[in-house]
Amino acid sequence: MPLSDLPVEDLADLYENAPCGYVSIAPDGRIAKVNRTLAEWVGRAEEDLVASPFNNLLSFGGKIAVETHLAPMLRLKGQVAEIALDLVGADGSKIPVIVNATEKRGDNGEHVLTRMTLFKAVDRRSYERNLLAAREAAEAETLAEHETATLREQFIAVLGHDLRNPLASLDAGVRLLDKEALSDRGRFILGGMAKSVARASQLIDNVLDLARGRLGGGLVLTRDAKEPVSPVLEQVVAEIQSIVPDRPISTIFAVDEPVYCDRQRIGQLASNLVGNAVAHGAPGSAIQVEARTEGSDFVLSVTNSGETIPPDAREKLFQPFFRGGTGRTRQGLGLGLFIVSEIAKAHDGSIEVISSDGITSFIFSMPRHRYQPATI
Amino acid sequence: MALKRNNVRVSGQGDRAMMFAHGFGCDQHMWRDVAQGFEVDFKVILFDHVGAGGSDLAAYDSTKYGSLGGYADDVIEIARELDLRDAIFVGHSVSAMIGALAVLKAPDLFSDLVMVGPSPRYIDDGDYVGGFTSGQVGELLQFLADNHLGWSAAMAPAIMGNADRPELGEKLTESFCATDPKIAAEFARVTFFSDNRADLSRVEARTLVLQCRDDIIAPQCVGEWVHAQLPNSEYVLLDATGHCPNLSAPAEVTAAIRAFV
Repeated sequence: MPLSDLPVEDLADLYENAPCGYVSIAPDGRIAKVNRTLAEWVGRAEEDLVASPFNNLLSFGGKIAVETHLAPMLRLKGQVAEIALDLVGADGSKIPVIVNATEKRGDNGEHVLTRMTLFKAVDRRSYERNLLAAREAAEAETLAEHETATLREQFIAVLGHDLRNPLASLDAGVRLLDKEALSDRGRFILGGMAKSVARASQLIDNVLDLARGRLGGGLVLTRDAKEPVSPVLEQVVAEIQSIVPDRPISTIFAVDEPVYCDRQRIGQLASNLVGNAVAHGAPGSAIQVEARTEGSDFVLSVTNSGETIPPDAREKLFQPFFRGGTGRTRQGLGLGLFIVSEIAKAHDGSIEVISSDGITSFIFSMPRHRYQPATI
Repeated sequence: MALKRNNVRVSGQGDRAMMFAHGFGCDQHMWRDVAQGFEVDFKVILFDHVGAGGSDLAAYDSTKYGSLGGYADDVIEIARELDLRDAIFVGHSVSAMIGALAVLKAPDLFSDLVMVGPSPRYIDDGDYVGGFTSGQVGELLQFLADNHLGWSAAMAPAIMGNADRPELGEKLTESFCATDPKIAAEFARVTFFSDNRADLSRVEARTLVLQCRDDIIAPQCVGEWVHAQLPNSEYVLLDATGHCPNLSAPAEVTAAIRAFV
């Protein structure tokens, strides 16, 4: 189609009846010019609007917002875009609009006019408000959940802590009774009680560590390399052996170099791994505990025979409250391996599990030396 | 520490210090055109309230900044870190009252106060006309909520070039008038629900009250009321209209402050 055939646009008509509102505002805030579209939106005659303050078309909150936010930004930036405002019509109704504005300036940079284009945005604004409300609701829900979780963990921490005292009394009682003359049956029962006390004490330690970790305290380590780590491991194995005298537990400890670690925590890690092997290994089967140094790493592994751990369960093993197995092996809170992985992480180390052909090994390894930042 | 937290900028030469505080809705750029005029013979101090402009948003604490006293404490800390004495405090809008609280708490820091568009209480109360009803403050909060995305975008460091005022592009490489939306909503609450009427009569510092015409936020009657309460004040009614004469009529504001100091 040749250009001459195109319809001619009438610029005056475009201004007056544009599909958006136009208003030009003098520096003192009075309307200098306004188009028919905008006048019709607010239900007033154009000639009534000219020379009246533009602010009169806004809700009071909008007026404050314009004075405190829009006017300064316009003065500083020369323009603002996509501001959401409500116009107030002659009948008091609110008309949600999106506003773009620029400042027209004179040759010396003086403010001559503020030009505004307004777009009606009823649906868009209500959609945005719905989104905002939904987000606020989601945030409130998350906050409430978080508070509940924190409260629950605080409760666990306090409960665990308070359980320690009566348990310590029980433990002292068992030890005192052990020195008394007892019948065979009495000694058998006392042995069972000692195991139960040890088990309860370990559970409480794990629960407290979990609560501490969740409450932001994290595991606090006291690391040094002043003493050898093997005696701690030997003691852990001896304690467990005394509880399960009929399970063969073999050890190979070849740790000659110093290991920079928290020995008590490494003992806890070993205790959880060996305890885990006792609980989940085939009844009566042997357990191997091996500790050695490999180059700059300290490596501890615990191996037992029993059911192979399925691959999908392996990923979840180290999550809190995960309990594998069924029947006999389903016991405890599922925190032991979680604590193991936390202790490993705290030592900049790692824990992995290899399980195939009925043999399962947990392998912990960590750098033996204190981390030294590389020098340039 | 306060200097970094409040993004403090010191410029100018002169023995006497003049500290400019921005009000609700903007940041230290609000004072740009006025502060420049004093750099020749004053040490000029600009800063952002926590939550605005280039301040450290991580330093925001809802409890501390739950009253204007928290903001006044920041002013005092800045003044102490800069070792100010008998300085001039120029506060716009709500910062006029923040300045009054600061001189009451630490009278040695500032000997002169300039209040631009002050209001000790925005909401009407019996015979006192503040100009607002409490419901209207709710509309402002709604505006802030609706424009959440807009203000977040304004926090972005890139500012569009400004063809007719190229100096802006260079100067304002960082964001300006940027306010964290959540903090802005809390600042709005603290500002518009504040009531510092009882404090004014205790302010002994020399004070200049600068009042605009047609200011819906701090109407003329409020400026006159402030002047009447202050024991040692001068009152100047500017020709400027609106609430931000520091931007709309910087020359007139500069001249009035000069005549006072």
